[in-house]
Amino acid sequence: MASSSRELGSLFDHQVQRAVCNTWAKYREGRRPRAVKVYTINLESQYLLIQGVPAVGTMKEIVERFALHGATEQYNALDEYLAEDFTEVYLIKFINLQSARAAKRKMDEQSFLGGLLHVCYAPEFETVEETRKKPEVRKAYVDHYVTKKLVTEHKDTENFRQDFHSEMSGFCTAAVNPSAGNSNPYLPYSCELPLCYFFSKCICSSGGHVDRASDSSKDDRNHGKTMGHYNHNDSLQKTQINTFKNSVAYPDRFMPRTTKLQERQRRREDDCKVGTFLETNSSSNEVMTGPLLPDISKVDMHDDSLNTTANLIWNKL
Amino acid sequence: MAQKPKVDPHVGRLGYLQALVTEFQETQSQDAKEQVLANLANFAYDPSNYEYLRQLQVLDLFLDSLSEENETLVEFAIGGLCNLCPDRANKEHILHAGGVPLIINCLSSPNEETVLSAITTLMHLSPPGRSFLPELTATPVVQCMLRFSLSASARLRNLAQIFLEDFCSPRQVAEARSRQAHSALGIPLPRSVAPRQR
Repeated sequence: MASSSRELGSLFDHQVQRAVCNTWAKYREGRRPRAVKVYTINLESQYLLIQGVPAVGTMKEIVERFALHGATEQYNALDEYLAEDFTEVYLIKFINLQSARAAKRKMDEQSFLGGLLHVCYAPEFETVEETRKKPEVRKAYVDHYVTKKLVTEHKDTENFRQDFHSEMSGFCTAAVNPSAGNSNPYLPYSCELPLCYFFSKCICSSGGHVDRASDSSKDDRNHGKTMGHYNHNDSLQKTQINTFKNSVAYPDRFMPRTTKLQERQRRREDDCKVGTFLETNSSSNEVMTGPLLPDISKVDMHDDSLNTTANLIWNKL
Repeated sequence: MAQKPKVDPHVGRLGYLQALVTEFQETQSQDAKEQVLANLANFAYDPSNYEYLRQLQVLDLFLDSLSEENETLVEFAIGGLCNLCPDRANKEHILHAGGVPLIINCLSSPNEETVLSAITTLMHLSPPGRSFLPELTATPVVQCMLRFSLSASARLRNLAQIFLEDFCSPRQVAEARSRQAHSALGIPLPRSVAPRQR
């Protein structure tokens, strides 16, 4: 059975500020030092506990500071909570979870009137109904995101089809019928791919990138003491993997190594043929471009077989 | 001042997640495993990562980690599953991979966060009003929720109450309650008492 005993006025485990982790691997070190913690919908709450508020009668100021991030429903001092000397603990309830999330991200570890605030979620203050609402809102958000992403991909597929059609009409006279074959709007590649074989370089781009839904950035989660900073749109890298583009855009044809070797061989042979042709036509009045290189004096090896070999080498050069 | 990214921008998000998974599989350090798993579990909150996480089989990684002896790894793994199970595709994957018994096992963890995440995950896996997943509302599970509904922890109490009200039928609750009344579970065993001589 999960243990959750706690003395009156003391902090819950999830409210205790964890030590910052100092052993991050270089490639996953974030901008700010963070502890090792996982945030789930259970931990997040519209209730925030604010510790470290200087006990100088600053309730109005602290509430106003937090209210900048969203409408608050109630606030009060928690006198029964054990606080550090000369500090107080406050509880603020936001109307919605997003505001609480934003406030926690912005205000945690911030300086306030000479003190350092520690802000954490306080889900233990929720009513049953408030707790019930959280997973429902979360599920609705995920469903909305997935649906919106599918709709966006579908629109881009249609745009791509139109763009592709207009580009291809300039290249081939054959009618392009994108609706032929697999007409599944979510699988454009299956019907456009065969046309690519006709063109060595088919620079086709979708009408627009399928951006990763930026809605998630509006729902910025502050992990406060956690990793996962790459979750946000303000993450370290703005580059977004566009799988839709990768699946639809036509890169240069992949040529395996053996094909490239054969290609080079073919070009050499062609050059040799051209060179031979030029030699046979050297008597014509054809204009030669490029610098006239001095003739390479042939070496006499004083031996017919060696001379033959040397001549072959010189000719190859 | 913001530091420069530590990861080559060309690697991208998929590459970064791949690096995390690779490190988790290869590292011998428990600290590194915890850090990476927590990282992945937090990434699992953002729906934009779900496609990558499925591609990298992170869901299976979370399910496998539920059997770890390290309680912290279990907590992080079930947290990751709790974060990504609202998505339909992820939910189906978890169900088909036989994740339900593993998640039910987490209900007996001494770690409160683990239990809370397990309850929420079960709630997401079982739509309310329907019982086509009988294992989620089996008597032992309902009995467990009844015990949780009496817990001193408000968070546990609330979640258990929601599970009983929204995901169990009154008949199932009544049956579990009546079985619990006649069950020896929860009754402390007597200390060493010499058997009565007849």
